Amino acid sequence: MRGFGKVIALIVILFLIVVWILPVYVMFSASLKPLSEINSGNYLRPPIELRTENWVMAFNTLKNSLKNSFLVSIPATLITVFIGSWSGYALAIFKFRWKSRLFFSIAIVTFLPYQIFLIPLTRLIVDMGLFNTFAGMILAYVILNTPMAILTTSLFFQTIPKELYEASSLDGCTPTRFYFSILLPISLAGITSAAVLTFTNVWNEFIIALSLSRDPTTRLAIPTLAGLKGSYVAQWNMLMAGAAIVSIPGILVLIFLGRFFIKGLTAGALKE
Amino acid sequence: MRVRLRTLLLFLLPGFTIVGILYYMLAWTGIVSTMDWVGMAPVWKFAGLKNYRILFTSQRFWTNVKNNMIWLILFVIPTGIFGMVLAYVLELMPRISRVLKPIFFYPLVISPVVTGTLWAWFFEPQQGVLNVILRYLHLDFLRTGWIADPKIAVYCMIVAGIWQNLGFALVLYTAAMREVPSDHLDAAKVDGASPGQIFFHIIVPEIGHATIVVFSLLVLYTLKVFDLVWVMTRGGPGYATEVLPYLMYRITFRQLMVGVGSAVAVIILLISIVVLVPLSKWMMARWME
Repeated sequence: MRGFGKVIALIVILFLIVVWILPVYVMFSASLKPLSEINSGNYLRPPIELRTENWVMAFNTLKNSLKNSFLVSIPATLITVFIGSWSGYALAIFKFRWKSRLFFSIAIVTFLPYQIFLIPLTRLIVDMGLFNTFAGMILAYVILNTPMAILTTSLFFQTIPKELYEASSLDGCTPTRFYFSILLPISLAGITSAAVLTFTNVWNEFIIALSLSRDPTTRLAIPTLAGLKGSYVAQWNMLMAGAAIVSIPGILVLIFLGRFFIKGLTAGALKE
Repeated sequence: MRVRLRTLLLFLLPGFTIVGILYYMLAWTGIVSTMDWVGMAPVWKFAGLKNYRILFTSQRFWTNVKNNMIWLILFVIPTGIFGMVLAYVLELMPRISRVLKPIFFYPLVISPVVTGTLWAWFFEPQQGVLNVILRYLHLDFLRTGWIADPKIAVYCMIVAGIWQNLGFALVLYTAAMREVPSDHLDAAKVDGASPGQIFFHIIVPEIGHATIVVFSLLVLYTLKVFDLVWVMTRGGPGYATEVLPYLMYRITFRQLMVGVGSAVAVIILLISIVVLVPLSKWMMARWME
């Protein structure tokens, strides 16, 4: 691209970059300012007086809920990816009738909005006596995320040469052993993608976390942050520090595992 | 590879028990939508289509439908088209795009609750960032109530939605454009085609599959947008910014009209199915090849 077209493209891109960076820039700079600086309308300049105490205070408020979020999202991710890859394996490698129907049935539930399952899911958790518990939230997230995990892992497994399975079964390798000692090690990239996608989904999720715990001791980080918006009215510096803190795990995932995150996003939607 | 039924079940059962539970839940919601269930405890009193009648005769429901239509047009189309054009332009500038892409990706890993909090402050009428910037630039005539103004609030939320989801369209379109055979592009370049001509005559037709997926998933997003509404306006002023997925939650968990809430869920399901069945059939064809 050259000349006039390039100049216009660059101007538009520059505008988009400003719009995409500005909210997060304002978030970080406000999180480090004293309230007086914000009240005087200083949003765009960096903080004059650095207030790292905001972060300490926001962290102390969110500490328990952050711990809860880890205690729910990590087990939920591990269980989801295990069940998903276990069944995804059969779907990808074995030949059987009704296979395409099963695929179709998963695709439908994978992309349905959570709202459709919300009432029966809440009933199920309440009836099992798991309301306000980590186990209840883990169970709910496993149920909701497993279809996506089956889908993504089985699409990854499809790229493995069938001969590998055939050869190892001729050598007397059982399907279970094949899964643990051959399939998992060679598809680590696909498994990681499914895990990264599930973890960010669960960590950032709101409506399920909001509905399944009303107890502050088991409440997760995202609903706690949402609650702060009501109680920290006009204390934008504290609110922004809190928003920044709960965003850290997702940002770290993007920085260190971004390749897997992107691969997971495209795998289900577009088979490469 | 053929396997014994026992082995097959051993592997399929865990995953498909869960899929089965989800289908059971769909059916359950459908049944509850015909029950006169109000309150916390289950009430199994058949009410026919009464819950649907309550919805269809209420002004609030139609405001929700109208807002969902606004999202459908002003969120889905811009996000999809910007994503497609941006993916192409960034592909033309490989060196710059390595630095720029993460800027559009990071909203994908941020919770919608954080996005809502950030943009709520932007569009806040008194202390909001946007109004302060406008005053600073001496553009006071543009200052307005933003999310406090029932006529504008929905559009403010849509801006936040686009901000969060553009990266998704960008990721999918970038992946699709990299699959376009390079000899097609090279042939066009040899013939002296401009970047614009290449875009419209080669890229757009060749990435049709990504367009189907991106637009369908963005439509489905408008049927589940809840967090942004909850955080930014709680559906207000009044119910001016409510959308169906938010209404479903309010009616069920705040007003405890579980039957009516299920009816909203069924309506969301029916609209989703219209998009999802063709999408899934079409994706399957690619997966199974």
